[in-house]
Amino acid sequence: MKLKDQFRFIQQNMKKNKMRVSMTILASAMSVAFLIVLASVAFGLHDTVIKDTIESPEVTQIEVAGKDIGNGNAESLSNEDIEQIEALEGVNAVTRSKQVRQETRYITEGYEINTQTIQSHFPSMKNAGMDLGEGAFPEEKDEVAVGYHFALNLLKDDVDPEEAEYGEDGHLIPEQRFSGEIIGQTFDLEFKRMQDGEEITETVPVTVTGVIEKPGREWAWDQNVYITDEKLAELEAITGTSKAMLTDPADAAEDTGYDSATVYADDLETVKSVMTSLEEEGYFVYSMVSEMSQINTLFNIAKAGLIFIGTIAILIASIGIFNTMTMAVTERAPDIGIMKAIGASPKVIKRIFLLESTYIGLIGAVIGIAVSYVISIGVNLALPLILESAFDEELPQGLQFSSIPFSLVLIAVAICLIVTMLSGMRPAKRATEIDVLKAMRREV
Amino acid sequence: MIEINQLSHHFTLGKKGQQTRLDVLKNISLHVNEGEIVSIVGRSGSGKSTLLNLISGFIHPSEGEILILDQKVSEFTEEEFADFRLKNMGFIFQSFQLIPSMTAYENVELPLILKGVSEQARKQMTLDMLKTVGLDTFKDHYPSELSGGQQQRVSIARALILEPPLILADEPTGSLDSETEADLLNFIKKLNRERGITFVIITHDDEVARIGHRTIEIADGELVKSGVLV
Repeated sequence: MKLKDQFRFIQQNMKKNKMRVSMTILASAMSVAFLIVLASVAFGLHDTVIKDTIESPEVTQIEVAGKDIGNGNAESLSNEDIEQIEALEGVNAVTRSKQVRQETRYITEGYEINTQTIQSHFPSMKNAGMDLGEGAFPEEKDEVAVGYHFALNLLKDDVDPEEAEYGEDGHLIPEQRFSGEIIGQTFDLEFKRMQDGEEITETVPVTVTGVIEKPGREWAWDQNVYITDEKLAELEAITGTSKAMLTDPADAAEDTGYDSATVYADDLETVKSVMTSLEEEGYFVYSMVSEMSQINTLFNIAKAGLIFIGTIAILIASIGIFNTMTMAVTERAPDIGIMKAIGASPKVIKRIFLLESTYIGLIGAVIGIAVSYVISIGVNLALPLILESAFDEELPQGLQFSSIPFSLVLIAVAICLIVTMLSGMRPAKRATEIDVLKAMRREV
Repeated sequence: MIEINQLSHHFTLGKKGQQTRLDVLKNISLHVNEGEIVSIVGRSGSGKSTLLNLISGFIHPSEGEILILDQKVSEFTEEEFADFRLKNMGFIFQSFQLIPSMTAYENVELPLILKGVSEQARKQMTLDMLKTVGLDTFKDHYPSELSGGQQQRVSIARALILEPPLILADEPTGSLDSETEADLLNFIKKLNRERGITFVIITHDDEVARIGHRTIEIADGELVKSGVLV
């Protein structure tokens, strides 16, 4: 018997009990829609988090905190370490910095600010593709770049720091802060050195050539001043200590290691392999990718859990299919008997009933998928509006509550088909066991 | 065509633990030649219908063997017998056994569908067959819209559609009036004569039995006589 004819048979049979079959299809559709919509929430939120992470420039960065030297001890990175890391496959650049070990003050005509001074390796920052928010990277010894918030907190020198006023944005109010062009501005970098137990103030000139981009995260604050290697060397020469430490040169310990280093991988795909190589070499590393892997695990567990709950709904719907098919077999027993008598093989009979239950499941699944998409679109449109009006808070841009990827559709269809086929197995087997003579005598 | 050797069959009746054995057929041996019409007669409960059901493969014999077209069908599995029936046997039942939800056309077409004949070929064959039995104008009628004689003709058309060499008929005129019965018997003789189809007819009606070339009588599950009815 050809498949086409089997389908025609099934359609004829289904027409005989339109109401019962429709209700069974409706139950299947509802269960499939329930599974998809439920799981789509996990898929939607996961997509939002992943998208947010992937779009972040930090995604290809690997922070290297130090190197394991055994017995649980770590040491900061040396120039040799940097060279070793730069030689690794997939590494685009390694930016590194040393922090000046004392608070520094920057003074220009009528303004001043106390802030941290950090030596940065600007060529590697250029290699990493980093752009300054404004201006150019320092190239000469006296050139510096400043953090995005530097100028916003550059206080007028006639205002007592204790009386400084800050606006809602956390910066100095415009009347008390620097309002000119920061690029090209020359400052005196004021720092101290120890001599015979006494602090002696020293100044060296610096000129701002660039402003670092605003930090990616809203809460991050950057009012540091970034100096060149040569400038740090100058400060070290004046103080006579490593990283311009405020200690007597005779007592100062040598500390030439980098305080932080960031490895820039070529792309997202190579981050993992670079991290593995770094870990194998004994470096302590951290990247957003490791965070992403944990996020993925969490969301995958959530997805599996929600799909499992949805499957229970399909299992409940399958009881309806089982009942429908059992009744269909009972009602059609005389017809089955006649068909068997004239030569229908048990295999064909079984296949017809299995196909019928699968067909019911499939129609239910198709309707369920369509309904799910409608619900998903509706949820994504309506929920932000509801939440915003209810809590009076703007939701993050690009937040997606529900997402139905094709894989979820496939999973739902597969589960639905498997469950409906299984629920049709017993009735189908019963159909093959129908006794021809009893059926023809209408005794079944 | 059919060779039956020492065939016995019994049914087990009653509840478990209180079962009784009912021997329906005892040591039957007979043969049916190709192109023959054989009538099997006997009183009600003699075992003639059981014999036909065993030949049809609807039940399995307790003992003995049945060969049809040189194949030991008594050893066939259900699957094998279904295929064998489809290809080699046609059935005419007393109560016609038409599927009520199918039209005359669809009932006749059913064996062709089961055999996997293409839709186009099916259409031509079914219409031809309905014409042969004189029901082409009733093709879209459901069994409930046809008379007993017409239903039996649909049933015959369904039995003949795959041109089987053997047709088994169980009380084929049992539900028909005398005029329709005569028509049907003439039609069976014509089919036998013109197409060489072998008929095994179960009946308790002497009129029907007379169309057979040979009559086999069964009484109490045993073969009483086999020969030409006078």
